[in-house]
Amino acid sequence: MNNHPSRLSYLTSGIIKENPILILMIGLCPTLATTVTARDGLGMGVAASFVLICSNVVISAIRRLVPDSVRIPIFIIVISTFVTIIDYVMQAYQPDLYRVLGVFVPLIVVNCIILGRAEAFAYHHGIIDSFLDGLGKSIGFGSVLFVMGALRELFGNGTILNYPLLPTAYRTSPMLFAIFPPGAFFLIGLLKALVNKLGWGR
Amino acid sequence: MEKSKLWIVLSLFITCLISAFALSQVYTTTLPKIEYQRNVAAIKIAFGAVMPGADRFEPTTPDSSVWFAYSGDIRIGTIIRAAEQGYAGLVPVTAGIDTTGKIIAIRVAGSAEGLKETPGLGLKATEPNFGNQFIGRTAQEIRLKNEGGAIEAITGATITSRAVTDGLRKAMEKYQPFLKPETESGVN
Repeated sequence: MNNHPSRLSYLTSGIIKENPILILMIGLCPTLATTVTARDGLGMGVAASFVLICSNVVISAIRRLVPDSVRIPIFIIVISTFVTIIDYVMQAYQPDLYRVLGVFVPLIVVNCIILGRAEAFAYHHGIIDSFLDGLGKSIGFGSVLFVMGALRELFGNGTILNYPLLPTAYRTSPMLFAIFPPGAFFLIGLLKALVNKLGWGR
Repeated sequence: MEKSKLWIVLSLFITCLISAFALSQVYTTTLPKIEYQRNVAAIKIAFGAVMPGADRFEPTTPDSSVWFAYSGDIRIGTIIRAAEQGYAGLVPVTAGIDTTGKIIAIRVAGSAEGLKETPGLGLKATEPNFGNQFIGRTAQEIRLKNEGGAIEAITGATITSRAVTDGLRKAMEKYQPFLKPETESGVN
């Protein structure tokens, strides 16, 4: 068992080397759609992280009982259960955030990061390893969402988390382009170019 | 690993069963909270419409029928919520009343909030043409014209019109003591 990758690497690989968004390029739909402000990006990141970590742990725990032929339906049931839980909880305690994220909360069910980790990792690894993997991928996913949201809010509104950072002169006529959908494509292209330049993921 | 055909069916069944049970637990726990949040959202819209200029509302009766409206620390009026039986279900009305007992504006809840009155007839109660007749009126004037009041009924929707006027008048008479500014929020 000595040639196995260390447990720490399960946690860290998702943050830079296998960052879901910037390296693996999966889960782009919520990345582009829910990062209008830093708070929305963060909210989406937290919701998806909850689902990813919980489903990774549960699927890893039941992996020896699940018949191969019906594993995908069972994964989907587990994932959608957690998505529905976060959906209710968010409606009850974060109604403003829920109104903004809207349809993207139920759509976490089909977020390919979550099903991807269930199939590729949690189905073949132990509970603790799966938890670490889910946590690492969540940090990688959530931090990119937050950075995207923060940058778009900064350029499109002159604020981060509603805290005014740029001078009033800028905030009266900000670069609205950044908070419109094309701004998201533009920004993720720039981030990807930066990541390539830095040589992450190689 | 169990591989029999029965287990394939059974494993799916058990997964669904556990999932359904967990969700029913979460649903019953969060439902009251979700309902409350929806109410707060609806109240914010309605209150802002009937009491422009207020920045704070405080519920005053335990059933949330009467709310005091404040601008800063000054009480600028009272919000009364009433619901009388209409042609098809209750007709909820929200009215902003100033400190002299005159109506500032009223708002009849729309079909999005569950009003079931007939489109083209009773549903016209939500339109400004009907609602603006209440502006500046006191409780005594809120009756239909053929009953000696000041409100012109909607053509073909007398029942709905009466539900709005009667509901509002009865509520204003019932909560008369709350309308005066010297009544402080200590009266619960």
